[in-house]
Amino acid sequence: MRVRASVLADYGLLQEEELELDGPGPGEVAVRLSAAGVCHSDYHVFSGDLPLPTPMVLGHEGAGVVAAVGAGVATVRPGDPVVLSWLPSCGRCRFCLSGRPELCRVPATAAQHGTLPGGRTPFRRGVTREPVYQFSLTGAFAEVTVVPESGVVRLPPGTDLEVAALLGCSVLTGTGAVWRTAAVRPGESVAVFGSGGIGLNVLQGAQLVSAYPRIAIDVSQRRLAAAIEFGATHTVRADQDSVLDRILELTGGLGVDAAFEAIGRPETIAAAFNATCAGGRAVVIGVAPPNAEVGLNAFAFPSQEKTLTGCWYGQSSPARDIPALLRLHNAGSLRLRPLLSQRYGLGELERAFEAMLDGSVNRALIVFDP
Amino acid sequence: MAFFADTEALYRILGGFFETLTTAEEGQLIHRVGGPVLFLYHRPEGRLLWSPLPPPGQRPAFRVAYGDDAAGEPPLLTFEQDADTAHRFWLGEIDLAQALARQQLRAIGPLSRAMKLLPHLDSVYPRYAAWVAGGGPA
Ligand SMILES: [Zn+2]
Ligand SMILES: [Zn+2]
Repeated sequence: MRVRASVLADYGLLQEEELELDGPGPGEVAVRLSAAGVCHSDYHVFSGDLPLPTPMVLGHEGAGVVAAVGAGVATVRPGDPVVLSWLPSCGRCRFCLSGRPELCRVPATAAQHGTLPGGRTPFRRGVTREPVYQFSLTGAFAEVTVVPESGVVRLPPGTDLEVAALLGCSVLTGTGAVWRTAAVRPGESVAVFGSGGIGLNVLQGAQLVSAYPRIAIDVSQRRLAAAIEFGATHTVRADQDSVLDRILELTGGLGVDAAFEAIGRPETIAAAFNATCAGGRAVVIGVAPPNAEVGLNAFAFPSQEKTLTGCWYGQSSPARDIPALLRLHNAGSLRLRPLLSQRYGLGELERAFEAMLDGSVNRALIVFDP
Repeated sequence: MAFFADTEALYRILGGFFETLTTAEEGQLIHRVGGPVLFLYHRPEGRLLWSPLPPPGQRPAFRVAYGDDAAGEPPLLTFEQDADTAHRFWLGEIDLAQALARQQLRAIGPLSRAMKLLPHLDSVYPRYAAWVAGGGPA
């Protein structure tokens, strides 16, 4: 079938194109997208900081309706509302079996090649039928995409698909970093570097487990205002104040129990580590370019028993955690609607990137004409 | 035991292989990278530079400079690694993402430019294996 998609033709060059989409093979599902969130990772591929093969269909935070299923698919049927998971784990490797499906090598390898796990990509273009790669086994900036069966999580009928789209990356990642990776306990102090789509969800995750204080750090006044809306108790303008001094002031000179880096820059990764208390943990969620390196004080590791760790996809199991997040939203505990500040058409992805970068939106959403 | 016994062997075998790429189809990809690429090697120490020769389409597509001769031109991209890692890379045995994560390979500069090359190396790896099996330059 023919589908419209936003294609990254080369780094920095997006164009709306009509592509040929192969139907779902065995164990695969075709999903007609309703909405797809615009994430920093999409921008990193666009800019070349996260180098992946081109041409590529970006987008990995999406929700829609199952359009067709391939042979052997048992968990969803055409018409089911679903959210995409960009980490369809194999369920059989040692990481999957030890409860760390986010580390499964099967999707990691496929994502590096821009394909599905079998090595094929469902999109083609032009008379040559040149393959068009797929970002992170999803490719949500297309009217319809094809993903592995484990790359969809079924939603209850009637679920708001704009809200559900966000569960596929930013909400799952931000809350998971607090609840699972850092395992923040009530009364612990947290600092969050970066108040974009991920950072805001770190803050509301920290509020839900009664962490205090909850310090948001950013260079944008607009984003810090949003941070307060999403649970920050204190804010620091990184371009105006000494971030470390402010954090020490707010924590009786100790530093925070848990610091979260949601930007992906070596300097802020070091700053997050430096802001933690003895015995504290710093969690890197932001995605830096694959060749970036960080400088840290070596003595602080043994003498202060500090932990520096990372968080990939909220250390989550999407089939378990996405329905739980949706229930929290339905119960009024998790604010998802206010994350959606602006909607864009498929041809307006670059404008959505600009809005994300200048901090004028919490989460930009690509919506598809019916 | 290191694959390259000394710098001379590194230059003769790997440098010699790079020389074959200058006139190969894939050599043209240097113009998509858009600047000089420097390879720094350890154990044994060595330095090789690919210096593009415009215009695109012309052969050789680039010049290979060795040692001190490779130090003159500021590179766009630098790859630093053990010579053994380089040997395994050109055999197609290195997972680039993992090698970067473990610092077996350090990349300085716009890595996305190197991505223009990577998908085309599948045809180059077997040629390097054959080159090595044949003992390098005739
Ligand atoms: Zn994302
Ligand atoms: Zn697995």
